[in-house]
Amino acid sequence: MRSKEAGALTGVGRVREHSAAAVAGKYWAVFRTQLLNSLAYPLDLLGRSLLIVLFMWIFMNLWRVTYGATGESSIAGLTLADTMWYLMMAEAVMLSKHDLSETFSEQVKDGSVAYLLNKPFNFILYHFAAGLGDSLLAFGGNLLVGSAVVWLMVGPPPGLTGWIFAGAAVVLSWLLDFCFSALIGLSAFVVEETNAFRWIYQKFLLLLGGVLIPIDFFPAWLQTISLNLPFAWIIYGPARLFVDPSLARLGHVFLQQCIWLAVVGGIVWVIYRRVVARLVINGG
Amino acid sequence: MGRQLAFVLALWKTNLLSAMEYRVAFLTQVFGMMLNNALYFVFWIIFFARFEEINGWNLVDMLFLFGVVATGFGAGTYLFGNAVRLSSLIASGQMDYYLSLPRPVLLHALASRSNASSAGDFTYGLISFGAAIYFSGSFGSLMLLRFTLGCLASIAVLISFLVLVQSLTFWIGNTSLLTRHAFNAIVTFSLYPITLFDGTAKLLLFTLIPAAFIGALPAEFVRRFDLLQLAQICAGGAVFLLLAVYVFYRGLRRYESGSAIQVRM
Repeated sequence: MRSKEAGALTGVGRVREHSAAAVAGKYWAVFRTQLLNSLAYPLDLLGRSLLIVLFMWIFMNLWRVTYGATGESSIAGLTLADTMWYLMMAEAVMLSKHDLSETFSEQVKDGSVAYLLNKPFNFILYHFAAGLGDSLLAFGGNLLVGSAVVWLMVGPPPGLTGWIFAGAAVVLSWLLDFCFSALIGLSAFVVEETNAFRWIYQKFLLLLGGVLIPIDFFPAWLQTISLNLPFAWIIYGPARLFVDPSLARLGHVFLQQCIWLAVVGGIVWVIYRRVVARLVINGG
Repeated sequence: MGRQLAFVLALWKTNLLSAMEYRVAFLTQVFGMMLNNALYFVFWIIFFARFEEINGWNLVDMLFLFGVVATGFGAGTYLFGNAVRLSSLIASGQMDYYLSLPRPVLLHALASRSNASSAGDFTYGLISFGAAIYFSGSFGSLMLLRFTLGCLASIAVLISFLVLVQSLTFWIGNTSLLTRHAFNAIVTFSLYPITLFDGTAKLLLFTLIPAAFIGALPAEFVRRFDLLQLAQICAGGAVFLLLAVYVFYRGLRRYESGSAIQVRM
């Protein structure tokens, strides 16, 4: 009763409500600025998307020879066309995700983290909003170029449902990947060199995430391990949804992504609170 | 020649002593890169466990390939660390320093920096070669000689290719994106069996993106002696090296200094 009255008198509740909208608006502005910034250099955007052509060309050669050698039209339920479209989506996600761990660790090492921490925004959310703006455009560019190449190689893409389901899952993929990037970046508070963690994380994505080879082609024991780790739900989940969309699969991918987001996001939050509380800044 | 060799050796020694000042960071990068490469190789283990062979290549061939590429790449980018950032040195006017000293500009610029992670690539390459010998059951002192020769040719073509691409900065300005793509292309292509690619693609891999000279060709030469292959890798190394030196020094005539104050640490 006492606190309620105090709230009514001081307008605390109203202020909080206003703050929530202001907070969303603040990060929306960061996201929008980054989006406009990237849009200002369309040639650069297109240039960045050319890498997917190289990967698709190599994959086409590898899998065409492999399918030819087995003499089968389908391996683990995937035809050559399915495999190529799967790999296109997997590469598009991989190449467009914004790796923030390096930015994080550089800011910790050169001390510019002090400059960002005293700004009226959350350090983690600021980077996520900015990274999302960049990823969205890069993803669009990679999809455009990658689809054109794969279409020429193996024929038309999966139907509209695949695009919609995969698109929705990709947003959660970026969020989950961002949490891992943040974890690696925050480790700079503890260790001198974070490059090794970044390389290893990327290799986990390439291998256990299913970027280089669909998880369906793994031996059963490795499939079980991969599907019980978060990396598969960053890459394999959306890419498999793309070539084989169904409501049941969509529900399963979302569920896995949400579980892992809660776990990894929670760890990031706890570590962030701890390192910021312990941060000592000297000089000015 | 002897003076230049002594100079380069002194640079490498300085780089090593500098890295040893941050021993933990150095070792973290070395072991991190070895683990990184090993994880990447797991892809081929999974692949060949399921498909056994593609166009005559099997897992042992891949071990030889990774052995040559990782050793060559590691040694090349460790000893000539600035080969991966030459374009930024040129674009930001940092060549002033090298131009003002009485030493060969290109050699001095390239050898002035060492990448710690490259030492991890080098070590991994040797381990992969060791594993290839073990699983193939064939070894002799001549194979070791062929491996050394193959790696030297691989280093020559890799570093020359990187210098060639980044020398374009003298003519077209910022080439950071081109450099990134060229780097990714040469490394990626060199780590795949050459038998995957047909006529036109193969021609590209011997000329425009000379990945065949960095990976497949020396790796095949290491496995069995072939006079034609020996001639090919020696000629490839020599031609790319001469071309890179020629193009770099032609471009250097166009170099413009911004007279910016540079701090070297």
